[in-house]
Amino acid sequence: MGVVSWKRHGKAQRRNKCARTVLPVLYDTKIGSGIRESVWVFPIIEGTHLLGIALSVGMLCWFDLRLLGLALCDQPVSKVWQQVMPVAFIGFALMFVTGLLLFWAEAITAYRSIHFWIKVALLILAGVNALSFEATAHKNMAEWDKSPVTPLRARMTGAISLILWTAIIITGRTMAYSF
Amino acid sequence: MHYLLPIFKFFDKSWLATFIADSRWLFPAIEAVHIVALCLMFGAILILNLRLLGIAFNDKPVARLARELAPWVFCCLLIILASGLMLFSSEAMKAYTSVPFQVKMVFLFAAIIFHYTIYKHVTKTDDSKTNHSWAKLAAIVSIVLWLGVGIGGRGIGFL
Repeated sequence: MGVVSWKRHGKAQRRNKCARTVLPVLYDTKIGSGIRESVWVFPIIEGTHLLGIALSVGMLCWFDLRLLGLALCDQPVSKVWQQVMPVAFIGFALMFVTGLLLFWAEAITAYRSIHFWIKVALLILAGVNALSFEATAHKNMAEWDKSPVTPLRARMTGAISLILWTAIIITGRTMAYSF
Repeated sequence: MHYLLPIFKFFDKSWLATFIADSRWLFPAIEAVHIVALCLMFGAILILNLRLLGIAFNDKPVARLARELAPWVFCCLLIILASGLMLFSSEAMKAYTSVPFQVKMVFLFAAIIFHYTIYKHVTKTDDSKTNHSWAKLAAIVSIVLWLGVGIGGRGIGFL
């Protein structure tokens, strides 16, 4: 069954051994086809995915705006982080779990979609951006924590994060319409 | 709903509707703007609601937080309404028969009216009594109303 549906999706067949064996199996599992073919499950998962984005990006963007000195400037940077992160992490968890399920349902189509790969690349960049800030910012954070104006490095992180998440949302939409 | 039909037909026949419907990428592009703006606005309102519930930014006075976030919320709302109107125009007749669209509009008008009347009043005056139960109720009503808008909105694409 897996082989049949993979052949239907033709061209990329010879591209990658791993993808060739794993993706059709994913695609044809009960969960994969269940999500794809159900009237209710797909909208609920996608709705939860969007809720996850609203919670995570909705919170994270306010931390980014604080880094840029555009909002919540009377609060220390570290405090804004503490306050928005619990909700943001709940959002990220929802987003990743539902995102994996959506990928599971559309694994073969996604694998062949350029929008999907751009989205994955942007997600990795967003992760690298956040982690590199996390790794370097704490050294001298005490110096500028309370100041409305943060160092260039911190402002860059905020700007890059806002741009990347906007781009991730755009590719998420273009991907859905290109399927 | 019959008396609203001319409005739907007006948008359906507008140049904007055909312009968006004719393009392959315009709809998802406008939708992305819609979602980015709603993330920002939802985040701002959620921060204020968490403050009213006593969960976040507890040492910042409610009224000051509300005053700082208000212009952001207002600008985002304008962007959301403008982009939403464009999306609506391109599929006005589909929206006319869509139950989720009707649900979304009811929640949207309720949420906007609530936000700029009762909610505005609560966040303006709640400074001294920070954990007032009315403030918490207002926060919960606000979250429920805006979630209703989102759920209705997602439903339009599927039902």
